[in-house]
Amino acid sequence: MMMNAAGQSTNAIDAKLVNTLMKAVMEVCGTMAGTQVTLKEVVPSLDYKPVGDISSVIGISGENGEGMLTLSFTEPMAGLLVGRLLGMAPEEICSEDMCDGIGELVNMVSGRAKTSLSEDSGTLYRLSLPSIIKGPGHEIGGRPKNCPFLFLVFEADGHSFVLQVTFRYF
Amino acid sequence: MTYILTVDDSRIMRKIMSGAIEALGFQVLEAGDGVECLVQVEAHIEDVCLILMDWNMPNMDGLTALKRLKASEITNTIPVMMVTTEGERGKMVEAIRAGAANYLAKPFAEEDLMTKMVECLQDRLNLV
Repeated sequence: MMMNAAGQSTNAIDAKLVNTLMKAVMEVCGTMAGTQVTLKEVVPSLDYKPVGDISSVIGISGENGEGMLTLSFTEPMAGLLVGRLLGMAPEEICSEDMCDGIGELVNMVSGRAKTSLSEDSGTLYRLSLPSIIKGPGHEIGGRPKNCPFLFLVFEADGHSFVLQVTFRYF
Repeated sequence: MTYILTVDDSRIMRKIMSGAIEALGFQVLEAGDGVECLVQVEAHIEDVCLILMDWNMPNMDGLTALKRLKASEITNTIPVMMVTTEGERGKMVEAIRAGAANYLAKPFAEEDLMTKMVECLQDRLNLV
């Protein structure tokens, strides 16, 4: 396993980051959308896998490392969460608001992760603006190469959604 | 007419904050970035009593817009509350030093947003 000068595995996604992300997802969905979510499973993967109908992607970078977070939803799950963000029924949500809402969810989750990373390392991290990709089997270009991903599968109201994360320390 | 200006590149966040603003009895103005914020303030200079400012936005970020507002004698009395995913203490200190009146990290509960808006408005409107 490759290690950096600080003794961190260069391709590691540590347990603390996973715990931070889990709490961030639960807090964002609970506080902003009044939705209780549970973490069903954590699955390691050697690469990103297309999941769901719509994904929001955000990059995170700093002096010590860089990574990417992707939140992927089926349309019903996305409609449920964005509808609750806005206090609207899913069928009332226009496509633009749906994309914007999904982007804001990943923005808030990654914001929490960034804060934790920054506090742990004493280094400021930056977030990119979120991007939205739609369509079954959608791919995400420009993602980090040769970095393991971790799938965090969440469930809420009988639907599931996935947070995929990769982070590489320099 | 008294406006609260919400500045965020997310339409969803502007809608969420608009609900809280209207619940307090104020009218809503919206801007999608720092540049639009400055335009809206100039157009409604007499009526804007509070600005809710995101940090990370395209074209002009919230901190830059905040500094522009505080550098002008015409706009420096308008309180600006940062509402942002930037949760680090250092970022909060940076914004307060630049003149932010208050700071709220996302995600937030609506009652926390309303409480902090009232805190910002107390001096200006002499609310009890």
